[in-house]
Amino acid sequence: MSQGQGKQSQPRPLPLAGIRVLDLGQFIAIPFCSLWLAWLGAEVIVIESRRRMTSRTAPPFAEGREKEPNASGYFNQLYSSKKSVTVDMTTAEGRDLVRRLAGVCDVMVDNFSTGVLEKLGLGYEQIAALNPSIIMLSNGAFGRAGAMRNSRGLHSAVNLFSGVAEVTGYADSHPRILGGCIPDPLSGTYSGFAIMAAIYHRQKTGQGQFIDVAMHEAMLSLIPEAVIDLTMNDVEPTRIGNRDRVNAPHGIYQGREDGTWLAVSVNDETEWAAFCNATRHPDWPSDPRFATLDARQKNVDALDLAIGAWVRGQNVSEATDLLQSAGVPSGPVLRLDEMLDHEQLLARDGVVTIDHPVVGPRRQMALPWRMDSLGIEYKSAPLLGEHTHEILTGLLGVTEPDYARLEAGGVLS
Amino acid sequence: MSVTNQPTSQGPLTGVTVVELGDGTSAPYAAKLFGDLGAEVIKVEGPAGDSSRKRGPFPDGRPDPEASGLFMYLNVNKFGVMLDLDTKPGVADMHKLLSRADVFMTNLPVKRLVAVGLDAKTLRAQYPKLVVTTISPFGVDGPWADRLSDELVTFASTGLAYSTPGMPDASEDLVKEPPLHPACFAGETISGLVAAEATMAALLGSGHTGEGCHVELSQQAAMAAMQIRDATSASYTGAPYNRLINPITIGRMPNFYLPCKDGYVTIAAPMENHWERLKDGMGRPAWAESELYSTEQARTANWISLRVRLMEWTMTVTSDEMHAFGETSQLPIFPFYSIRKLAGTQHSKDRGTFADLTIGGKPAKMPAAPFQMRGTPWSIRRPAPRLGEHSAVILKDGIAA
Repeated sequence: MSQGQGKQSQPRPLPLAGIRVLDLGQFIAIPFCSLWLAWLGAEVIVIESRRRMTSRTAPPFAEGREKEPNASGYFNQLYSSKKSVTVDMTTAEGRDLVRRLAGVCDVMVDNFSTGVLEKLGLGYEQIAALNPSIIMLSNGAFGRAGAMRNSRGLHSAVNLFSGVAEVTGYADSHPRILGGCIPDPLSGTYSGFAIMAAIYHRQKTGQGQFIDVAMHEAMLSLIPEAVIDLTMNDVEPTRIGNRDRVNAPHGIYQGREDGTWLAVSVNDETEWAAFCNATRHPDWPSDPRFATLDARQKNVDALDLAIGAWVRGQNVSEATDLLQSAGVPSGPVLRLDEMLDHEQLLARDGVVTIDHPVVGPRRQMALPWRMDSLGIEYKSAPLLGEHTHEILTGLLGVTEPDYARLEAGGVLS
Repeated sequence: MSVTNQPTSQGPLTGVTVVELGDGTSAPYAAKLFGDLGAEVIKVEGPAGDSSRKRGPFPDGRPDPEASGLFMYLNVNKFGVMLDLDTKPGVADMHKLLSRADVFMTNLPVKRLVAVGLDAKTLRAQYPKLVVTTISPFGVDGPWADRLSDELVTFASTGLAYSTPGMPDASEDLVKEPPLHPACFAGETISGLVAAEATMAALLGSGHTGEGCHVELSQQAAMAAMQIRDATSASYTGAPYNRLINPITIGRMPNFYLPCKDGYVTIAAPMENHWERLKDGMGRPAWAESELYSTEQARTANWISLRVRLMEWTMTVTSDEMHAFGETSQLPIFPFYSIRKLAGTQHSKDRGTFADLTIGGKPAKMPAAPFQMRGTPWSIRRPAPRLGEHSAVILKDGIAA
């Protein structure tokens, strides 16, 4: 199924039509990167094997289909619109097939531990010798260069190393970890941007290249203020909960119903006056504790208590309407599971339902932008090995007898 | 241009011209990503200047619109033009810039863009080859389109505040630990990055269509789309997200974030072989042989008591010792680093993770390239512009060579 197509008109061109990607990704970062590339029209060929299944063994599974390789939601949502080729890279012939595929791809991506690809004979130098114009992007927790290039870490380590944890946490308390496994999709998005910039460059010059993505450097891009204040003014970063370094009030407060929360952010004196007026606190603007921004910052504990007490008596949705009509930025805290039914996302094709031959129709977040002259293509994730024959005999020109021999020898398992 | 005479100092987007009408972080960051890769970025500011000029951090804390750290970081590698779009000459000059641009990026409110005739529909009609990228909190239509929002309020609407502190951490007290926003422009930065990727896709797509594109980005959707793992759980199990430490949310155990003797560590040992290595590291204590922890399922089901047991051990070990154990046991065990400690590592020096800049005469460091393109390295070609610094030269002569 595709999005953004007029019913009568021809399908719109896909931005990455004609781009072929060899995907050796695992976990989230690289599969997330190549997911958007696939939706944008790239042909993404995923190398898997029954010995090295990507995320097909990971939960959540469709109900009653636990451990089935074609029923993992983790896999099916990250591998939408991609092709699956099973090749056992522990065999010499398997490695040779992957090398030959790299020879006919525009882009190759991986997030193995540093050095794994080189040991398999699939490192950049080895591949570029066959295909000099290839764009190869390698994503690692600590990157492919530098003293710690061989260190191991999942997204939680990246969070802790990147500095972001230093500014994430409640006031006067310990560092905390940002939700959503964000280092993975964030570095995956940087990877997608870098690949497209490299494609643009290659179209102009014919030049391919190697791109080194360190997940912790992707995360560091979130905290320029803290980096600059520390290195310029020797000001140590602090954790301040949901408060802001400059503006007040700025917080997330509990609503009347349990588990409901309201975000309120007052950016100037006009908004402060509007907030006080709308919430019927006419004394606050002249209260010496709250009359100016300086005073509100000095008395921020009292300010948050006062606002928290007001919000505690409110329904969050009604309070949002009240404050929005008064001109104060405010809104509910939403849970991701609620967002699959969220009116704003649904109104804008922000959630896509993709039908899958094994698990049926499932919803996931769509590509988060619209394009008026270009298309997007959502297809189901491949079954394990679904495209092995097509790709090897078609793209690589492996003969049927050779294919049968490789299959019988376990190379394609 | 042949491969042989391609200077490596040129970025991969050399030859692309971007006009940015941005404020704060999202659109300026998207345009910075283009500028850092060699595009010619012309930043248009109104007479009051970009609001991040007022944000700081400033040298020694003294406010100065020409010495805001955030502004200097976000607007490096750009030319600066000052235009008053409330005047006819200002609008005419804007069109002069747009007539030779490949990309226009903005995060100004749609109402403002319509008022000055710079909305996407008008621009697409007037400049058929232009890629027009608009960034807004919730998108240009739908029931929330007109809501007032900012970093905090948008972030709260994406699921990300609710899930922070996040796996392998969690809220320990639902009242004292509300949904959390990090003290940085995380949401604005993420949506700026997604806008840059979307714009890049549209530029490549222009090669197929021969025409421009309106790239219309909702910041809420951008951040929600990032959390693919959490959305999958909701889609496949329908289970509501639980902020409290909860094995359904977290998955296989142990995969924890825990205090240690002098800091904090994350310990991931979710599989059987990991668990055996972790037991070795702890000196194979008797409690670890209990049936309560004998299988992956048991360790997950009994994670609350397991967490306490592990903490009793981690509190006797320093973060450096823990890190060394992680290296020798090949377990993903990793300690918390402050920014100061990160900046001081040999790794940061080897990679050039931080770049030097001067702010109001004072030396500082900023995050350097978020990825490293070996064939077309990142470079700083010029510092962020003073307000209107290049107005005369650019409006008169076009882009400076």
